[in-house]
Amino acid sequence: MGPLLTTVAIGATIFGLFLALSWASRRRASQSRHRLEDALKHLFDLEYRGRHGSLASLTGALRVRDRAALDLVKRMQTQGLLVARGAEFDLTPEGERLALQVIRAHRLLERYFADEARLPLPQVHAAAERGEHHLSPDAADRLSASLGHPSVDPHGDPIPTREGFVPPAAGTPATAWPIDRLARIVHLEDEPPISYAQLVAAGIEVGQMIRIIDSSPERMVLTDGENEFRLAPAVAANIFLENAPQAPALAGALRLAELSTGQAAEILGLDDRCQGYSRRRLMDLGFTEGATIRAALTTFAGDPRAYEIRGTLVALRSEQASQVLVQPLEKAS
Amino acid sequence: MSNPNAVAVLQRAAELRATLTGQFRDETVKSIYAEAERIAGRASHHSGTARYDFDQRIDRIVTSPIFGLPIMALLLAIVFWLTVAGANVPSAMLASGFFWFEDQAAAVFTNFGAPWWVTGFIWHGVFRGLAWVISVMLPPMMIFFPLFTVLEDLGYLPRVAFNLDFLFSRAGAHGKQALTMAMGFGCNAAGIISTRVIDSPRERLVAILTNNFVPCNGRFPTLILLATIFVGPLVPSAVASIAAAGTVVGVVLIGVVVTLAVSWVLSRTVLKGQASAFTLELPPYRRPGILRILYTSIIDRTLFVLWRAVLTAAPAGAVIWLLANIFVGDVSLARHISNALNPLGHAIGLDGVILLAYIIAIPANEIVVPTLLMVYLGTGMMTDDVSLEEIKRLLVTEHGWTLLTAVNLMLFSLLHNPCATTIITMYKETLSLKWTVVGTLMPLGLAFLVTFIVASIW
Repeated sequence: MGPLLTTVAIGATIFGLFLALSWASRRRASQSRHRLEDALKHLFDLEYRGRHGSLASLTGALRVRDRAALDLVKRMQTQGLLVARGAEFDLTPEGERLALQVIRAHRLLERYFADEARLPLPQVHAAAERGEHHLSPDAADRLSASLGHPSVDPHGDPIPTREGFVPPAAGTPATAWPIDRLARIVHLEDEPPISYAQLVAAGIEVGQMIRIIDSSPERMVLTDGENEFRLAPAVAANIFLENAPQAPALAGALRLAELSTGQAAEILGLDDRCQGYSRRRLMDLGFTEGATIRAALTTFAGDPRAYEIRGTLVALRSEQASQVLVQPLEKAS
Repeated sequence: MSNPNAVAVLQRAAELRATLTGQFRDETVKSIYAEAERIAGRASHHSGTARYDFDQRIDRIVTSPIFGLPIMALLLAIVFWLTVAGANVPSAMLASGFFWFEDQAAAVFTNFGAPWWVTGFIWHGVFRGLAWVISVMLPPMMIFFPLFTVLEDLGYLPRVAFNLDFLFSRAGAHGKQALTMAMGFGCNAAGIISTRVIDSPRERLVAILTNNFVPCNGRFPTLILLATIFVGPLVPSAVASIAAAGTVVGVVLIGVVVTLAVSWVLSRTVLKGQASAFTLELPPYRRPGILRILYTSIIDRTLFVLWRAVLTAAPAGAVIWLLANIFVGDVSLARHISNALNPLGHAIGLDGVILLAYIIAIPANEIVVPTLLMVYLGTGMMTDDVSLEEIKRLLVTEHGWTLLTAVNLMLFSLLHNPCATTIITMYKETLSLKWTVVGTLMPLGLAFLVTFIVASIW
């Protein structure tokens, strides 16, 4: 090996070590900030539900040892973010303000990941959990504006305003909802992740219309008109319901993807689950209520298909096409 | 925001916004469309549907299960054949013209008593580098881009995207990536610019970051040369040219597979958080406008790309000349560096000279082979005034190239980092240093990894 290469190799190694060290120290600093922000969020969450934080709840929520939680509490006290009343912790107004900033960032990011990036819902929380610590209040404002100032996150949790106003939690838990009364799901509690994952896996979503068919201490049975969901009451308690608005007349409605090739239909609207970028694209292309659409072309793979709408051809994958609700027209020919 | 009125207005707006229901945007779009429909209904009237039916008939043929793919393959093959066959002669003419000019100019300089290194640097370095890139690059682009633009203008290309979307949707990419890839055969920088047609941010980034995996026409000569010299002789001479052509097609197919695989990985890892939606408009067929085609293909594509290439090729020519003509001890700087790179080169089945050629050729891949030959021959300037037999003897007998070297060089050429023009374009299109770095280093790492694995299991 030539001396040139040796010199270069040694130089690169030293430079690499230097980079690694500075990265590690920066990482440690940011980790402790993240932990503090997570603690603020946890304590605020408890207060929002009328409870109080404690050392035990902190160690549980942050998954840290008692020692670390104690250090954290001390730090928050000296920074004037927290006051201890006996074994209970409460946030100071300053602590609440910071907590709301983090929560606002978290819920806006959830909206972004769900609507714009179209991440599967179970992944949205974790992605926002990472991003929330890196979104400044100004960046959060810009994000909020670009999303059209959403008021709730994809789970139905209210998004705090910049000024720190949080609308009260909406909805009644499904466990306290009367049997057989039509309800709209307004909120799915995303903590603990296990029961949230169970709800998502069952196909339960915010905005869905459901009825409770049967309720016993062991089991609750819900239906959306097509499927029945059997849930443990502890899991069902994470579903929050409100009185349903008048159900739109969707009888006989099809999803666009179900239309057979050559068939014409009238668009009834877009599915509520289709939000953000996808929704804007479809609206831009003229997929609005009342427009006439015809399934015109299909590829040999069956997907995507091209639809004729407003005199143009637009190809959609079945994933997008199933978010458009249509009413088939009588065949004219 | 010191104006009290402004503050009050904003506050009022925020209050009102809170009272809006979620559907007001839908209502807005609906009313805009209703208004547009009303105006259009008053201002225009339709006479018959003949044109539309005609379009429909063509659509049914070009997207049909039986004819769809063959038509597409045939059209693309014609475009490529015209490009390759048509570019040879003008390329050779341009090159001989430029090099004649170079000789004359150098002679004039010498006559006027300019020191040899001034003449060498300006004419055999900077000018030769420029001339080389222009004569290899310009003719194929002048043919490929107009042909491609004709297909685009006809409205056929969106149908290709429609036909091939099933492949790309599985890779988490957009069907229109088929078009940006096809464009990449002409030039990766132009391919990256053409990703503007992909309206979904995530799929567009996927297309930008993977465009480099289709070989551009600056890299085709290297592939063809290697296939002719190394793969051709492996089979009976009657089918040698077919085997060579098959090898080039095989390399291209590897590129397509790598594109899909890398797209799949990218869209599931680093690009997961980017916005995405799939829609594809299939515009009506149109008669191509000749002037517009000439304008977009020559001004927007060819000259644009050529200008950036010129900006990077001139300094490359200068560097090559300096490396070949500065001697430390008895050995040129180029030799010193290639000797130092030898261990790394051998580890991936290549050698130091090849790596050096690729480092120098970052500005433009057209100069890889001339630079290689220059260093091997020990001449002071880029050269390819050598017959195929001579090149083969030089590479195999004198410098120990084997089939492995050829295969790995083809793979390296296919996968390695994009050229400087493409890197600059990547930055201009994404305006993100991060994605530019990813788009540069990811292919380079992949190239080293693949060639290393091939060399290890050979």
